[in-house]
Amino acid sequence: MITAERKPFAEIKAACAPYRRILVVGCGTCVAECAAGGEKEVALLASQLRLDAGKARRTIDVKEVTLDRQCVYEFIDQIFPLVDQYDVILSLGCGAGVQAMAEVLPKIHIVPALNTTSIAETMEQGVWREDCRGCGDCKLDRFADICPITRCAKGLFNGPCGGSKGGHCEVDPDVPCAWHLIITRMEETGRLDAMNEVEPPADWARTQGKGPRKIVREDQKTP
Amino acid sequence: MSDPDHSDSTVAIFFCRQLDPEQDANRRSLEKELGPKVRFFPLPCSGRIEALHFLKALETGARKVYLVACPEGACRYGQGNVRARKRLDFAKALVREVGMSDDCFELVTAPGAGLASMDEIARGLLGLKPHRA
Repeated sequence: MITAERKPFAEIKAACAPYRRILVVGCGTCVAECAAGGEKEVALLASQLRLDAGKARRTIDVKEVTLDRQCVYEFIDQIFPLVDQYDVILSLGCGAGVQAMAEVLPKIHIVPALNTTSIAETMEQGVWREDCRGCGDCKLDRFADICPITRCAKGLFNGPCGGSKGGHCEVDPDVPCAWHLIITRMEETGRLDAMNEVEPPADWARTQGKGPRKIVREDQKTP
Repeated sequence: MSDPDHSDSTVAIFFCRQLDPEQDANRRSLEKELGPKVRFFPLPCSGRIEALHFLKALETGARKVYLVACPEGACRYGQGNVRARKRLDFAKALVREVGMSDDCFELVTAPGAGLASMDEIARGLLGLKPHRA
Protein backbone atom coordinates (compact mmCIF):
# COMPACT_ATOMS: atom_id res chain seq x y z
CA MET A 1 0.00 0.00 0.00
CA ILE A 2 0.92 3.66 -0.26
CA THR A 3 1.99 5.11 3.08
CA ALA A 4 1.88 8.71 4.17
CA GLU A 5 2.29 10.88 7.22
CA ARG A 6 0.36 13.93 8.18
CA LYS A 7 2.04 17.27 7.63
CA PRO A 8 2.66 19.44 10.68
CA PHE A 9 -0.46 21.34 11.67
CA ALA A 10 1.29 24.69 11.26
CA GLU A 11 1.92 23.95 7.57
CA ILE A 12 -1.69 22.90 7.00
CA LYS A 13 -2.98 25.92 8.89
CA ALA A 14 -0.85 28.31 6.85
CA ALA A 15 -2.09 26.80 3.58
CA CYS A 16 -5.73 27.06 4.68
CA ALA A 17 -5.41 30.48 6.30
CA PRO A 18 -7.06 32.45 3.45
CA TYR A 19 -10.16 30.25 3.54
CA ARG A 20 -13.17 30.05 5.84
CA ARG A 21 -15.10 27.10 4.38
CA ILE A 22 -12.94 23.99 4.39
CA LEU A 23 -13.87 20.58 3.01
CA VAL A 24 -11.63 17.95 4.61
CA VAL A 25 -11.51 14.87 2.38
CA GLY A 26 -9.98 11.59 3.50
CA CYS A 27 -9.33 8.36 1.66
CA GLY A 28 -10.52 5.03 2.99
CA THR A 29 -7.89 2.86 1.33
CA CYS A 30 -4.08 2.93 1.73
CA VAL A 31 -3.75 6.04 3.89
CA ALA A 32 -6.53 4.81 6.15
CA GLU A 33 -4.61 1.58 6.72
CA CYS A 34 -1.52 3.54 7.75
CA ALA A 35 -3.61 5.79 10.04
CA ALA A 36 -2.78 8.97 8.14
CA GLY A 37 -5.83 9.87 6.08
CA GLY A 38 -8.84 7.72 6.96
CA GLU A 39 -12.09 8.72 8.60
CA LYS A 40 -10.56 9.01 12.08
CA GLU A 41 -7.70 11.18 10.90
CA VAL A 42 -10.11 13.40 8.98
CA ALA A 43 -12.10 13.89 12.18
CA LEU A 44 -8.96 14.66 14.19
CA LEU A 45 -7.70 17.23 11.72
CA ALA A 46 -11.15 18.83 11.43
CA SER A 47 -11.32 19.01 15.21
CA GLN A 48 -7.87 20.63 15.38
CA LEU A 49 -8.92 23.21 12.78
CA ARG A 50 -12.06 24.04 14.75
CA LEU A 51 -10.17 24.28 18.05
CA ASP A 52 -7.55 26.49 16.45
CA ALA A 53 -10.18 28.77 14.92
CA GLY A 54 -12.06 28.90 18.22
CA LYS A 55 -8.89 29.92 20.01
CA ALA A 56 -8.44 32.82 17.57
CA ARG A 57 -12.19 33.62 17.75
CA ARG A 58 -12.46 32.96 14.05
CA THR A 59 -15.51 31.31 12.52
CA ILE A 60 -14.83 28.51 10.10
CA ASP A 61 -17.03 25.94 8.46
CA VAL A 62 -15.38 22.53 8.30
CA LYS A 63 -17.02 19.53 6.68
CA GLU A 64 -15.60 16.01 6.87
CA VAL A 65 -15.90 13.48 4.05
CA THR A 66 -13.99 10.25 3.47
CA LEU A 67 -14.05 8.73 0.00
CA ASP A 68 -13.46 5.02 -0.52
CA ARG A 69 -10.64 5.89 -2.93
CA GLN A 70 -9.44 9.36 -3.67
CA CYS A 71 -7.44 8.28 -6.73
CA VAL A 72 -10.45 6.99 -8.72
CA TYR A 73 -12.67 9.51 -10.51
CA GLU A 74 -15.89 7.59 -9.86
CA PHE A 75 -15.40 7.98 -6.10
CA ILE A 76 -14.46 11.64 -6.36
CA ASP A 77 -17.80 12.23 -8.07
CA GLN A 78 -19.41 11.83 -4.64
CA ILE A 79 -18.17 15.23 -3.50
CA PHE A 80 -19.35 17.13 -6.61
CA PRO A 81 -22.51 18.42 -4.87
CA LEU A 82 -20.40 19.79 -1.99
CA VAL A 83 -17.57 21.49 -3.82
CA ASP A 84 -19.41 24.74 -4.60
CA GLN A 85 -20.13 25.25 -0.91
CA TYR A 86 -16.45 25.31 0.12
CA ASP A 87 -13.46 27.57 -0.53
CA VAL A 88 -10.78 24.90 -0.34
CA ILE A 89 -10.38 21.14 -0.18
CA LEU A 90 -7.95 19.81 2.38
CA SER A 91 -6.98 16.39 1.09
CA LEU A 92 -5.82 13.57 3.31
CA GLY A 93 -5.16 11.40 0.27
CA CYS A 94 -1.79 10.36 -1.10
CA GLY A 95 -0.15 12.37 -3.88
CA ALA A 96 -2.16 10.42 -6.44
CA GLY A 97 -5.38 11.22 -4.61
CA VAL A 98 -4.65 14.94 -4.49
CA GLN A 99 -3.79 15.03 -8.19
CA ALA A 100 -6.79 12.94 -9.20
CA MET A 101 -9.06 15.37 -7.37
CA ALA A 102 -7.30 18.30 -9.02
CA GLU A 103 -7.93 16.66 -12.40
CA VAL A 104 -11.62 16.25 -11.72
CA LEU A 105 -12.17 19.52 -9.82
CA PRO A 106 -10.31 22.22 -11.79
CA LYS A 107 -11.88 25.24 -10.08
CA ILE A 108 -11.07 24.70 -6.43
CA HIS A 109 -7.78 24.91 -4.55
CA ILE A 110 -6.76 21.51 -3.15
CA VAL A 111 -4.29 21.52 -0.27
CA PRO A 112 -2.43 18.31 0.59
CA ALA A 113 -2.45 17.50 4.29
CA LEU A 114 -0.17 14.46 3.96
CA ASN A 115 3.38 13.77 2.90
CA THR A 116 3.29 10.62 0.79
CA THR A 117 6.26 8.49 1.72
CA SER A 118 6.43 5.01 0.23
CA ILE A 119 5.00 1.70 -0.91
CA ALA A 120 5.07 -0.31 2.26
CA GLU A 121 3.86 -3.31 4.21
CA THR A 122 2.25 -3.39 7.63
CA MET A 123 4.79 -5.02 9.94
CA GLU A 124 2.63 -4.85 13.06
CA GLN A 125 -0.01 -2.50 14.35
CA GLY A 126 1.43 0.99 14.05
CA VAL A 127 4.56 -0.04 12.11
CA TRP A 128 4.92 0.25 8.34
CA ARG A 129 8.10 -0.44 6.38
CA GLU A 130 8.96 0.63 2.86
CA ASP A 131 9.33 -2.39 0.59
CA CYS A 132 9.13 -1.13 -2.97
CA ARG A 133 10.39 1.89 -4.91
CA GLY A 134 8.20 1.17 -7.92
CA CYS A 135 11.26 0.84 -10.17
CA GLY A 136 9.24 -0.71 -12.98
CA ASP A 137 11.60 -3.67 -13.42
CA CYS A 138 10.88 -6.06 -10.57
CA LYS A 139 13.58 -8.63 -9.90
CA LEU A 140 12.41 -9.87 -6.53
CA ASP A 141 12.66 -13.47 -7.70
CA ARG A 142 16.35 -12.92 -8.34
CA PHE A 143 16.83 -11.60 -4.78
CA ALA A 144 14.85 -14.16 -2.80
CA ASP A 145 11.86 -11.79 -2.65
CA ILE A 146 13.74 -9.07 -0.77
CA CYS A 147 14.28 -5.87 -2.73
CA PRO A 148 17.87 -4.61 -2.51
CA ILE A 149 16.93 -1.31 -4.14
CA THR A 150 14.58 -0.50 -1.29
CA ARG A 151 15.95 -2.42 1.66
CA CYS A 152 19.72 -2.16 1.15
CA ALA A 153 20.90 1.33 2.09
CA LYS A 154 23.43 1.14 -0.75
CA GLY A 155 21.08 -0.49 -3.27
CA LEU A 156 23.59 -3.22 -4.05
CA PHE A 157 22.73 -5.87 -6.65
CA ASN A 158 25.59 -8.34 -6.32
CA GLY A 159 26.10 -9.30 -2.72
CA PRO A 160 26.67 -7.51 0.55
CA CYS A 161 29.02 -4.57 1.05
CA GLY A 162 30.83 -6.27 3.91
CA GLY A 163 29.97 -3.63 6.45
CA SER A 164 27.10 -5.36 8.19
CA LYS A 165 27.48 -6.45 11.80
CA GLY A 166 25.46 -9.26 13.34
CA GLY A 167 23.11 -9.23 10.37
CA HIS A 168 22.44 -5.50 10.71
CA CYS A 169 23.19 -2.63 8.36
CA GLU A 170 26.20 -0.43 9.09
CA VAL A 171 24.27 2.62 7.90
CA ASP A 172 21.43 2.05 10.37
CA PRO A 173 21.99 -0.69 12.96
CA ASP A 174 18.25 -0.90 13.58
CA VAL A 175 17.73 -2.18 10.05
CA PRO A 176 18.49 -5.78 9.10
CA CYS A 177 21.08 -6.11 6.31
CA ALA A 178 19.07 -6.82 3.16
CA TRP A 179 21.81 -9.06 1.80
CA HIS A 180 21.95 -11.03 5.04
CA LEU A 181 18.21 -11.63 4.59
CA ILE A 182 18.60 -12.46 0.88
CA ILE A 183 21.34 -15.01 1.46
CA THR A 184 19.56 -16.59 4.43
CA ARG A 185 16.37 -16.96 2.43
CA MET A 186 18.24 -18.31 -0.59
CA GLU A 187 19.80 -20.94 1.67
CA GLU A 188 16.45 -21.82 3.20
CA THR A 189 14.83 -22.20 -0.22
CA GLY A 190 17.76 -24.14 -1.73
CA ARG A 191 18.70 -21.50 -4.27
CA LEU A 192 22.10 -20.39 -3.03
CA ASP A 193 23.65 -21.28 -6.43
CA ALA A 194 21.82 -18.29 -7.90
CA MET A 195 24.31 -16.11 -6.03
CA ASN A 196 26.93 -17.06 -8.65
CA GLU A 197 25.04 -15.21 -11.35
CA VAL A 198 26.03 -11.61 -11.90
CA GLU A 199 23.14 -9.17 -11.91
CA PRO A 200 23.54 -6.41 -14.53
CA PRO A 201 22.87 -2.79 -13.60
CA ALA A 202 19.24 -1.77 -13.37
CA ASP A 203 17.56 -0.06 -16.31
CA TRP A 204 16.77 3.19 -14.55
CA ALA A 205 15.20 4.56 -17.70
CA ARG A 206 12.12 2.60 -16.72
CA THR A 207 11.77 4.84 -13.65
CA GLN A 208 13.27 8.18 -14.52
CA GLY A 209 13.77 10.68 -17.28
CA LYS A 210 10.54 10.27 -19.23
CA GLY A 211 8.05 12.11 -17.08
CA PRO A 212 5.18 10.29 -15.42
CA ARG A 213 4.89 6.61 -16.20
CA LYS A 214 1.58 5.52 -17.62
CA ILE A 215 -0.08 2.15 -18.07
CA VAL A 216 -2.58 1.74 -20.88
CA ARG A 217 -4.62 -1.44 -21.07
CA GLU A 218 -6.82 -1.53 -24.15
CA ASP A 219 -8.68 -4.56 -22.81
CA GLN A 220 -9.69 -2.57 -19.73
CA LYS A 221 -10.68 0.63 -21.49
CA THR A 222 -14.24 1.50 -22.38
CA PRO A 223 -14.76 2.12 -26.11
CA MET B 1 -17.60 24.81 17.69
CA SER B 2 -19.77 24.49 20.77
CA ASP B 3 -22.59 22.06 21.32
CA PRO B 4 -25.47 24.13 22.72
CA ASP B 5 -26.65 21.20 24.86
CA HIS B 6 -23.31 21.09 26.62
CA SER B 7 -22.14 24.68 26.45
CA ASP B 8 -22.04 25.03 30.25
CA SER B 9 -20.01 21.88 30.78
CA THR B 10 -16.58 22.42 32.13
CA VAL B 11 -15.25 19.00 33.07
CA ALA B 12 -15.51 15.73 31.15
CA ILE B 13 -14.59 12.49 32.89
CA PHE B 14 -13.98 9.39 30.81
CA PHE B 15 -13.54 6.35 32.97
CA CYS B 16 -13.14 2.61 32.89
CA ARG B 17 -16.41 0.99 33.94
CA GLN B 18 -14.52 -1.86 35.56
CA LEU B 19 -13.36 0.49 38.32
CA ASP B 20 -16.77 0.76 39.89
CA PRO B 21 -19.41 -1.86 39.09
CA GLU B 22 -22.02 0.49 40.60
CA GLN B 23 -20.81 3.54 38.65
CA ASP B 24 -24.21 4.12 37.09
CA ALA B 25 -25.78 4.77 40.51
CA ASN B 26 -22.69 6.23 42.18
CA ARG B 27 -22.21 9.13 39.79
CA ARG B 28 -25.85 10.23 39.84
CA SER B 29 -25.67 12.41 42.94
CA LEU B 30 -22.75 14.36 41.50
CA GLU B 31 -24.50 14.74 38.17
CA LYS B 32 -27.56 16.10 39.99
CA GLU B 33 -25.40 18.41 42.10
CA LEU B 34 -23.37 19.91 39.28
CA GLY B 35 -25.72 19.51 36.34
CA PRO B 36 -24.03 20.03 32.97
CA LYS B 37 -20.80 21.25 34.59
CA VAL B 38 -19.64 17.65 34.75
CA ARG B 39 -20.10 14.98 32.13
CA PHE B 40 -19.30 11.32 32.70
CA PHE B 41 -18.41 8.95 29.89
CA PRO B 42 -18.19 5.32 31.02
CA LEU B 43 -15.99 3.17 28.83
CA PRO B 44 -15.91 -0.64 28.78
CA CYS B 45 -12.14 -0.27 29.31
CA SER B 46 -9.92 2.84 29.31
CA GLY B 47 -8.21 1.36 26.23
CA ARG B 48 -11.38 2.16 24.28
CA ILE B 49 -10.53 5.88 24.44
CA GLU B 50 -9.48 7.60 21.21
CA ALA B 51 -7.66 10.90 20.75
CA LEU B 52 -10.80 12.18 19.07
CA HIS B 53 -12.81 11.73 22.29
CA PHE B 54 -10.49 14.18 24.05
CA LEU B 55 -10.63 16.72 21.23
CA LYS B 56 -14.40 16.48 20.88
CA ALA B 57 -14.78 17.02 24.62
CA LEU B 58 -12.81 20.27 24.29
CA GLU B 59 -14.75 21.29 21.21
CA THR B 60 -18.05 20.84 23.04
CA GLY B 61 -17.08 23.05 25.91
CA ALA B 62 -15.02 21.06 28.42
CA ARG B 63 -12.12 22.99 29.93
CA LYS B 64 -10.62 19.90 31.54
CA VAL B 65 -10.81 16.27 30.43
CA TYR B 66 -9.92 13.44 32.76
CA LEU B 67 -9.38 9.82 31.87
CA VAL B 68 -9.66 7.56 34.89
CA ALA B 69 -7.96 4.21 34.34
CA CYS B 70 -6.94 1.15 36.34
CA PRO B 71 -3.38 1.00 37.67
CA GLU B 72 -0.86 -0.43 35.20
CA GLY B 73 -0.81 -4.20 35.36
CA ALA B 74 -4.37 -4.29 36.68
CA CYS B 75 -6.33 -3.94 33.44
CA ARG B 76 -8.96 -6.65 33.18
CA TYR B 77 -8.29 -6.85 29.44
CA GLY B 78 -4.49 -6.84 29.73
CA GLN B 79 -3.14 -3.71 28.06
CA GLY B 80 -6.10 -1.31 27.94
CA ASN B 81 -4.68 1.25 30.34
CA VAL B 82 -1.29 1.17 28.61
CA ARG B 83 -2.99 1.92 25.30
CA ALA B 84 -5.05 4.63 26.98
CA ARG B 85 -1.89 6.44 28.08
CA LYS B 86 -0.52 6.37 24.51
CA ARG B 87 -3.78 7.74 23.13
CA LEU B 88 -3.75 10.49 25.74
CA ASP B 89 -0.17 11.38 24.80
CA PHE B 90 -1.23 11.56 21.15
CA ALA B 91 -4.18 13.82 22.00
CA LYS B 92 -1.84 16.06 24.00
CA ALA B 93 0.47 16.35 20.99
CA LEU B 94 -2.50 17.35 18.82
CA VAL B 95 -3.60 20.18 21.12
CA ARG B 96 -0.01 21.38 21.49
CA GLU B 97 0.09 21.61 17.69
CA VAL B 98 -2.76 24.11 17.78
CA GLY B 99 -0.98 26.14 20.42
CA MET B 100 -3.07 25.02 23.40
CA SER B 101 -1.76 23.77 26.70
CA ASP B 102 -1.85 20.00 27.03
CA ASP B 103 -2.66 20.11 30.73
CA CYS B 104 -6.33 20.19 29.77
CA PHE B 105 -6.02 16.40 29.48
CA GLU B 106 -5.08 14.32 32.47
CA LEU B 107 -4.74 10.61 33.11
CA VAL B 108 -5.80 9.63 36.60
CA THR B 109 -4.91 6.23 37.97
CA ALA B 110 -7.65 4.93 40.23
CA PRO B 111 -6.82 2.81 43.29
CA GLY B 112 -8.03 -0.32 41.48
CA ALA B 113 -11.16 -2.11 40.35
CA GLY B 114 -13.88 -1.96 43.00
CA LEU B 115 -11.77 0.01 45.50
CA ALA B 116 -13.39 3.42 45.09
CA SER B 117 -16.73 4.68 43.78
CA MET B 118 -16.84 7.01 40.79
CA ASP B 119 -18.49 9.56 43.05
CA GLU B 120 -15.48 9.56 45.39
CA ILE B 121 -12.99 9.67 42.53
CA ALA B 122 -14.79 12.48 40.73
CA ARG B 123 -15.26 14.54 43.88
CA GLY B 124 -11.56 14.16 44.54
CA LEU B 125 -10.74 15.40 41.03
CA LEU B 126 -13.11 18.33 41.31
CA GLY B 127 -11.97 19.27 44.81
CA LEU B 128 -15.43 18.72 46.29
CA LYS B 129 -16.36 17.44 49.72
CA PRO B 130 -17.33 13.77 49.93
CA HIS B 131 -20.99 13.05 49.37
CA ARG B 132 -23.00 12.08 52.44
CA ALA B 133 -25.58 9.40 51.71
